[in-house]
Amino acid sequence: MDIFLSAIFAGTSRGAIYALAALGLVLVWRGAGVVNFAQMGQAMFSTYIASTLIAQNYSYWIAFVVALISGGVLGGLVDLLVMRPLSRKRSSSVLDSPAMRSTVPVIASLGILGVLQAAAGMIWAAEERGFPTPVNSLGLVINGKIMPFTAFDLFVMGIVFVTLVATTYFFKGTGMGLAMRASALNPEVARLSGIRIGFVRTLSWVISGVASSLAGLLVTPSANLSPYTLDLILIIGFTAAVVGGLDSLLGSVIGGFALGLLVSFVNVYDAPEDIFLAILIVLLTVLVIRPQGILGSKEVRRV
Amino acid sequence: MLEIKDLVTEYGSVKALNGISLIAHEGKITTVIGANGAGKSTLLRTISALEHPRSGSITWKNKSIVGLSPEKIVRLGIAHVPEGHAVISQLSVEENIEMGALFRMRSNKADVRLAIQEIYQLFPRLEERKKQLAGSLSGGERQMLAISRALVSRPSLLLLDEPSLGLAPLVVEQIIQTVNDLCRNTGLTVLLVEQNANTALGVADHGILLSLGTVAADLPAAQMKADVALRAAYLGY
Repeated sequence: MDIFLSAIFAGTSRGAIYALAALGLVLVWRGAGVVNFAQMGQAMFSTYIASTLIAQNYSYWIAFVVALISGGVLGGLVDLLVMRPLSRKRSSSVLDSPAMRSTVPVIASLGILGVLQAAAGMIWAAEERGFPTPVNSLGLVINGKIMPFTAFDLFVMGIVFVTLVATTYFFKGTGMGLAMRASALNPEVARLSGIRIGFVRTLSWVISGVASSLAGLLVTPSANLSPYTLDLILIIGFTAAVVGGLDSLLGSVIGGFALGLLVSFVNVYDAPEDIFLAILIVLLTVLVIRPQGILGSKEVRRV
Repeated sequence: MLEIKDLVTEYGSVKALNGISLIAHEGKITTVIGANGAGKSTLLRTISALEHPRSGSITWKNKSIVGLSPEKIVRLGIAHVPEGHAVISQLSVEENIEMGALFRMRSNKADVRLAIQEIYQLFPRLEERKKQLAGSLSGGERQMLAISRALVSRPSLLLLDEPSLGLAPLVVEQIIQTVNDLCRNTGLTVLLVEQNANTALGVADHGILLSLGTVAADLPAAQMKADVALRAAYLGY
């Protein structure tokens, strides 16, 4: 029973992080129509910035805010320096086909990930360093046993909840949110409606950058910081987003928690080596049985 | 007044428009007819800046609009309803309409509300279905929605690309009549592209016949409709 409980707790706190990572992916998918593999690279980069500030004796919260801002700036730069020029390239008919138009940004994002990781390695050296938490990380005590669930985990879950509510309201309840959905779904009709799709896209990269750097800041205390630590979160976060239905914010959060529990149970009852196998099985099962994901709409990919 | 002079638009090495000149007068319906591939859609897409012309001029209210972006052109009062019932099927009916007014939501919210009200009076069926996804609408309703999306921006020039495409004759009649009423009652200028020449010439003031990217005839609509030889040569009936 204690093992079961502790697996649940560990899974929920992991799940919250995966949910944040998945949210960031969904945000840029819904706002710019791109699956961004560089996302956790951006997050890693802004976490390094925070870590550097903390090492120079700034308070955690100042570092936290600076990291979020730099995450947003980095997201915006990715769009302005790479994605936007790419979308304007019409050099060959091959690059101009609809299939390539949706593939090129994804491949570019993989390239950006590589550049960011290499740059971080050059600037901060590739060895791991620790990263603090803002609130205490002592385990909760139930029945005299210490459970793997801390005030920090609660803090993370609170942030996931707030992010989910805020982004859902933003997409459903505001004009800018509508402009964002329209630009991603049908850029041509959006432009003809007077929506400045360039600006809207950059903004969605910025918001997604902030959400991802949030995920980076919150996951790093339990993982140590190195240029590659967040790769795992990216893979699981991506799976969570797909399982949830790439275009649904709530779906991605549900997917994140589901995968967190899965990883935790495999860890406790089976063996850590099988985590990837389990994730792969879940991903394939969902793709076969319900390709649009738990809450995704059916025509996500109609071009 | 919209005035186009010697407009050339190319797709690669193909000249889709090869030196087109025409005028769309204010408060009138000008229809552009012609066979498939005559360049009708390209003409509208070039006006709304979805395609860039190689040469020639487009002036709207005595100002050149060549080189502006599509989002800028909407703000000048030119609304384009592209071919194929262009709505966003994953958004609700309400959202599709709202989308067309987002750019002036902040500056003139009261008028946007009013414009939406007017649209629902024009097409009551859209109000009944405002919470539904646009993808669940019938072809005719989608076309109404696409036109509404353009109207909510309060355009003074409406570019309408093949509204009759794939619709039942009765629905086509209704939509064309609505556009006609709008033009006559509100002074809206309309540039109507149609393959269905008879219907289009029936409501239009002026007809432009395109053939392979050039203007083959430029006549008052009634005269063009009556010209049997012209129709036989270019439209095949």
